[in-house]
Amino acid sequence: MEELLELLKDGHARTLELLASELGTDTDDIKRKLEYLENMGIIRKVCLSPCGAGKCAECAMHSGAAPCKGCLPENGFKNMGEMWEVDKGLIAENRG
Amino acid sequence: MSAGATIALLGQPNSGKSTLFNALTGLRQHVGNWPGKTVEKKEGSFSYGGKEYRVADLPGSYSLSANSDEEVITRDFIASGEADVVCILADSSQLQRSLFMLADYAGINVPCFLLLNMADVAEDQGKTIDAKTIEKKLGIPVVPFSATDIRSYDSFYKTLEKALSKDSRINVEELAAQYGSIKGYQDICDLIPENVLEGYSPMWLAVKVLEKDEVVIAKLKNALDAETFGRIEEAARGTNGAVATGGCKFRWIDELLGETVSAGNNTVRLSRLDRIYTNKFWGKAAVILTVLLGLIASFIPALPLMGVGEAVLAVKAPVMNALYSIGCPEFLILIVGDVIIQSFSYIFKMLGFVFGVTLVFGLLEEVGVMARISYVFDNTMGKLGLQGKSVMPFLVSFGCTMGGAAGARVIDNWGQKVLTIALAWAVPCGAAWATIPMLASIFFGPGAVGVIVAILFTMLVHMWITAKVFGGQLVKKEDRYGMIMELPPYHKPKWGALFRYVLGRTKETFIRVTKVILLVCGIFWLLSYSPSGNGGILYSIGVAIEPVTRIFGLPWQLFLSYVASAVGKEGAVGVISALYSGGSYGNAFTQAMSGGADTSNLSSLLLANVTKPEALAFIFAMTFNMPCVVALAATFQETHSAKWTARIVLYYTVVSLILAFIAYHIGMLIW
Repeated sequence: MEELLELLKDGHARTLELLASELGTDTDDIKRKLEYLENMGIIRKVCLSPCGAGKCAECAMHSGAAPCKGCLPENGFKNMGEMWEVDKGLIAENRG
Repeated sequence: MSAGATIALLGQPNSGKSTLFNALTGLRQHVGNWPGKTVEKKEGSFSYGGKEYRVADLPGSYSLSANSDEEVITRDFIASGEADVVCILADSSQLQRSLFMLADYAGINVPCFLLLNMADVAEDQGKTIDAKTIEKKLGIPVVPFSATDIRSYDSFYKTLEKALSKDSRINVEELAAQYGSIKGYQDICDLIPENVLEGYSPMWLAVKVLEKDEVVIAKLKNALDAETFGRIEEAARGTNGAVATGGCKFRWIDELLGETVSAGNNTVRLSRLDRIYTNKFWGKAAVILTVLLGLIASFIPALPLMGVGEAVLAVKAPVMNALYSIGCPEFLILIVGDVIIQSFSYIFKMLGFVFGVTLVFGLLEEVGVMARISYVFDNTMGKLGLQGKSVMPFLVSFGCTMGGAAGARVIDNWGQKVLTIALAWAVPCGAAWATIPMLASIFFGPGAVGVIVAILFTMLVHMWITAKVFGGQLVKKEDRYGMIMELPPYHKPKWGALFRYVLGRTKETFIRVTKVILLVCGIFWLLSYSPSGNGGILYSIGVAIEPVTRIFGLPWQLFLSYVASAVGKEGAVGVISALYSGGSYGNAFTQAMSGGADTSNLSSLLLANVTKPEALAFIFAMTFNMPCVVALAATFQETHSAKWTARIVLYYTVVSLILAFIAYHIGMLIW
């Protein structure tokens, strides 16, 4: 996992397949590591819709029936896969 | 019946715990809450071999770290000694992943056994698992199992009895050796006495200290003297923490499974399309070409609604004629004809493009191409000093800049957020994409494609320059980690859902655009109305400012339309139409009445009054002008800075006029 985070330091985005290929492993291995890092708060999933097409906290604050201004229309941008980003603060904290 | 043992069921979510619990206890279960927590507590009992066993279904959690109430409750219950044996469930179909709970459990001093649940699913996947070898390596009973298959339960009961009778505990020798490679681990482990916290071994506690587990650290602080605790803290400083311990656990799992699990070939091959899109050299070109082709293709679905727009225009003369014949005042006749009917004609034509662009972009997203676009441009974002996720507001801005500005709220760094919004303004919105092709096709015919290409190219250069202009003040140079992306598989579009989405967007746009266009065109028409035919207020202002506006290649009518485009791009063409027919209403009306309704036709009206260089200047000025007042409000709302909002507005106004100037002079050279 240290190698995985080290690779990402170059600032380039990578797909799971590319990561697996560069680390000489398979995508299942990458997925379980991402799951771990996400659970430990070292990486986090990126919210792809600005806040969830009418299902975010802000939407709930008003009527809830209509999406707030930050939300995409319902059914907008759903097939975007998953993205994770590294929490630099937590990495530093993790290193004490 | 004698009292048997208490069994705790431990596993990650979806490991099959609840299925097992329900099958074991049937109706003999009760549900409550853990003391002081809102976490559900499920307990029950069952009889086997003349003994009554208690079962506790522990909350499903990923690990035994202190990341949630569920995890703390789970480990505290186990370590308290209430459970005589822990049944750890793992998903056989993904053992590499699901054995993490076992690895995190190793070091807790409570007997346990491993249930390889969903063995039937693993078998269907072609996997074979050598449970005996795993059992030998682990030192605890291991049994393949299927919680949904009643025939499996006999092996469960036998394994349970075996674990209880042998007091089986995990052999942690190999795992401890793995941890030994972490800097500081051995020192911490040596400083923690046995049984300092009941139920936990020094190895387990040392690992949690390295993982910065606040609950464990607080308990150790209470249990140990200050000097020892201080030395532990010192040893833990500067280590790789959870990253290192996690790596050790995964390596231990891999060694444990080794040759004991055989699986089919899971080598991932990239599809031919992905080999192009994700290619370091061709990716960007492929993506830009895809977007460009998409925009050009959006002309095709636009055609039917454009036809409707033409049909609406065709009724203008008969309606005005009818109103005239019933003695309606000329002012009202002109409002109906020049404002309402003409606006609706334009609205329908524009909706055609909104429909087309939304359909094409929706299709790209639906089939999975949009995700590739964000992947390809992630690195470019880095070069602009932005986070990879900034690409999302840009993509959203192709539809609506307000959505793009509001979407920038996912960016946590304020400077990057402001820069993202500033750059998102350079992306022509849906209204602009509806106006550009319409105007371009009127003036340039097939050359409209060239205009669209030029607009896209200008957009990219504009964004790059804007990033350089504002980036220095907004974004500090810092280390940037790349994003990790799981691209969705390509799949056939769900046409029904896609059309529902596209029609919904078109309907929303129709309602919004109708309000904006009627209002803006109405106001501009009224200000330009002159019963005497000498020109209204706008005419006087326009003629006065024209010497200046001409510098940018914009006659006063186009300049005022450019100003109107800042309110909403939807209104720009309508305003042109209203202004070019203003000042000569009498003539226009007479011509219309006599059947010579040339001036009532938008294309003829524009071609008769605007030169090609002026049209090109206007297209660039309007496209890169401030998007609209709603986007302006959203920008202020997200940046919380009137200063930066004003700066961005001023910058875009200046740049759009410079672009108009350049476009006009290039146009003069060509035509």
